Amino acid sequence: MRTLKHLFTMLLMLCSLMEARAQKRNRIVMSRDHLILIVDVHTSKTEIDSLLRVGGIVGQTAEMLLQGNYLPAIKNGWDVKAKKNIIELNRSLSDGKENIQITPYFLSSNVYKSSSRPGYPSEVAYGVNNFSRVTVHELSSGLTRFFVPGNIQARRVFVSGSFNNWSTIKGNMNKTDSGWVFDVRLEPGKYAYKFIINSNWTTDVNNKLSEDDGVGNNNSIYFRYNYTFRLAGYPSARKITVAGSFNKWNEIPMRLKNGRWECPLYLHDGNYLYRFIVDGYSITDPANKLTQVQNSVLSSVLLLGEAVTFKLNGYTNAHKVFVAGTFNNWDTNMLPLTKTTTGWILHYTISAGNYQYKFIADGQWIVDPLNPNQITIDGNTNSFLAVKPNHTFTLKGYSSAHTVRLAGNFNNWNEQGYTLEHKGDVWIINIRLKPGKYLYKFLVDGNWILDPGNKLWEQNQYGTGNSVIWIE
Amino acid sequence: MGKPDIIIGGINFKSLIESDSDPYGDFKVLAIPIKRAGNLIIVEAQLDSVGGNFVLDTGAPYLILNSTYFRGLPKIKEQESGGINGRSSNTFTAIVHNLSLGFDLHYDRLVADVTDLSGIENSKQIKILGLLGTRLFAKLAITVDISKNLLYIHKLDKNGDILPGEKVFDKPDVKTTFKCMNDVMFIKGNVNDKSIWFAFDTGAETNMLDLHVSKKIIKSLQVINRNNVLGVGGKSYEIIYASFNKLNIDGYTFPNNRVLVSNLENIGKFYGYTFDGILGYDFFARGIFTINFAKKEFEMYIYTHH
Repeated sequence: MRTLKHLFTMLLMLCSLMEARAQKRNRIVMSRDHLILIVDVHTSKTEIDSLLRVGGIVGQTAEMLLQGNYLPAIKNGWDVKAKKNIIELNRSLSDGKENIQITPYFLSSNVYKSSSRPGYPSEVAYGVNNFSRVTVHELSSGLTRFFVPGNIQARRVFVSGSFNNWSTIKGNMNKTDSGWVFDVRLEPGKYAYKFIINSNWTTDVNNKLSEDDGVGNNNSIYFRYNYTFRLAGYPSARKITVAGSFNKWNEIPMRLKNGRWECPLYLHDGNYLYRFIVDGYSITDPANKLTQVQNSVLSSVLLLGEAVTFKLNGYTNAHKVFVAGTFNNWDTNMLPLTKTTTGWILHYTISAGNYQYKFIADGQWIVDPLNPNQITIDGNTNSFLAVKPNHTFTLKGYSSAHTVRLAGNFNNWNEQGYTLEHKGDVWIINIRLKPGKYLYKFLVDGNWILDPGNKLWEQNQYGTGNSVIWIE
Repeated sequence: MGKPDIIIGGINFKSLIESDSDPYGDFKVLAIPIKRAGNLIIVEAQLDSVGGNFVLDTGAPYLILNSTYFRGLPKIKEQESGGINGRSSNTFTAIVHNLSLGFDLHYDRLVADVTDLSGIENSKQIKILGLLGTRLFAKLAITVDISKNLLYIHKLDKNGDILPGEKVFDKPDVKTTFKCMNDVMFIKGNVNDKSIWFAFDTGAETNMLDLHVSKKIIKSLQVINRNNVLGVGGKSYEIIYASFNKLNIDGYTFPNNRVLVSNLENIGKFYGYTFDGILGYDFFARGIFTINFAKKEFEMYIYTHH
């Protein structure tokens, strides 16, 4: 019995020893004005590395620490003391790094940076609406009509969405006998929206498509259509679908309308292959002469985008001229130009965006002599082309300047930037920019200037300001 | 020391500068839909002909406008930087006319500071015209329901109470008084059984604690991580993200609190009062809250009880 008690006491002691050992393990503690990391050299490197990460010690690894190399920590302002099995890293929290952020909103808004714009859906290849009762539709005028049925007693009803910056005051709907309507001009694309009925946010209950915006809001989704697949004939077919490369060949049902099978949808600009499936039997589009064989299957080809003409004057002695650019991954053999009496020409369809390109005449790379808009990156100059541009940067005057360039946060402030065209009294360049805020400046013969034609600007770290534009 | 008189063309503008016109509108309680940008509360307002986003910011003393869009307003007074009202350099005071919130609440004339708010805009990627500070609501009460994205603006009776039947909730879980100094709200709270003063700031995207707060509190924090953050003017500053278990406001205990620990001395200078911390989003997002600015009362109805 006595021995048993003895054993028990021994066990207890062992336990408390183990506990003491456990307490010695890695810790991070704050004391007044100091942050202290206590590293137990017997713990795993993974554990030590994660502690170093918590401490924000850039460049210091467990491996180095255990070998006695504390240099990165010391450079970061940490005092390092190694005792027996413990390495203690101690950092003063008031070492002159005075916080100059004098308002809480500046302090916290810097910490909580949004990397995306919630509520603004990203681009998709295609989309088909799904309403239990159609509440959003296109008018013959080209406008899109939003409709809230009923709610006639409501004081005010709004539609708010990605198309009006989620405004709670701009989409003021008009009351009709049967509900509320609002008309707006929309470009083809995907839109998120909600209604605000008597100040209360609500999704469109008649719209079966909705999406979480990633920050806890469920929004209704509407696709503004821009294309209709059509197939004539087959009046007695039971089911006809369309499938294509735009949706990984999933079948979308077509409907019989006025003796024709139809599938209206939103389709993003691009080059696609597609086929119709008639009662399980796959066919190409009889109304489309453009076809392409891929994986030994013949498919119809659809080119959606802007028609662009590439023209190169001269070089009539060349055997072959190609155009290559960011629109075809710089493929040097894909897009040949046709010889004319005065030069070379190619008509090609490109989706909306900003592109760089060059001509290749018998292996010789040349910038487009007819296009003054250029872009230089790392000393390499290419011609610049914006398809369906949505903003024009112009600078008036400066007629004696040799070059005017444009740089901003849309091109990482690259000083070589975009070269503007001198046209009459103005320097000019068209660009396509996604919705959002942009900062920019002009470089007139190498001198940075604010855009004198834009009264919106904000201060920068050099005290010289940046011009501001919002693309909406 | 009194505030300096402003004399322009022989006219003393002191009285003009110090007073806003009273808000008016035909309502008892006004419900205004709000939006969110990160942890900020966004209210759309119409300032003269310009409509757009404003941050509901109880950390701001009055109306603050973004200089990107309001640089052209006539200057009434230049602000020294770093003073009580000093923000960044190039801050000035202006008088604006015709501010409307939610179509029904109007202000004919308001004193506003015009300053650089590009930091918020660039961080949140939304256009911010300005901040709606506490003085706008000095004779009103406001209720914020984060879960429904609704802001209520209440008219008060002559006793300073919300009109009968117009309260959004009846039985608050938290009811406390606050002090208002330089138009900033201060609430007394308890962190791990140590009493301290917090500024209550709907413009703070997180709770904050000053590095110099009592040792007992600092030692009780569990560190989540340490970071250097690049701030306005390209200077970096240090923050420590931590958590603590017990935040007590007037008898109600909030568990699992997140807090950003940094040197808040300059914010204290800006407010004109030293304080220990800031109650921000992590605190106010836990329930519907009502601030009665006339009676200096804060009430909260907790969404989910732990």
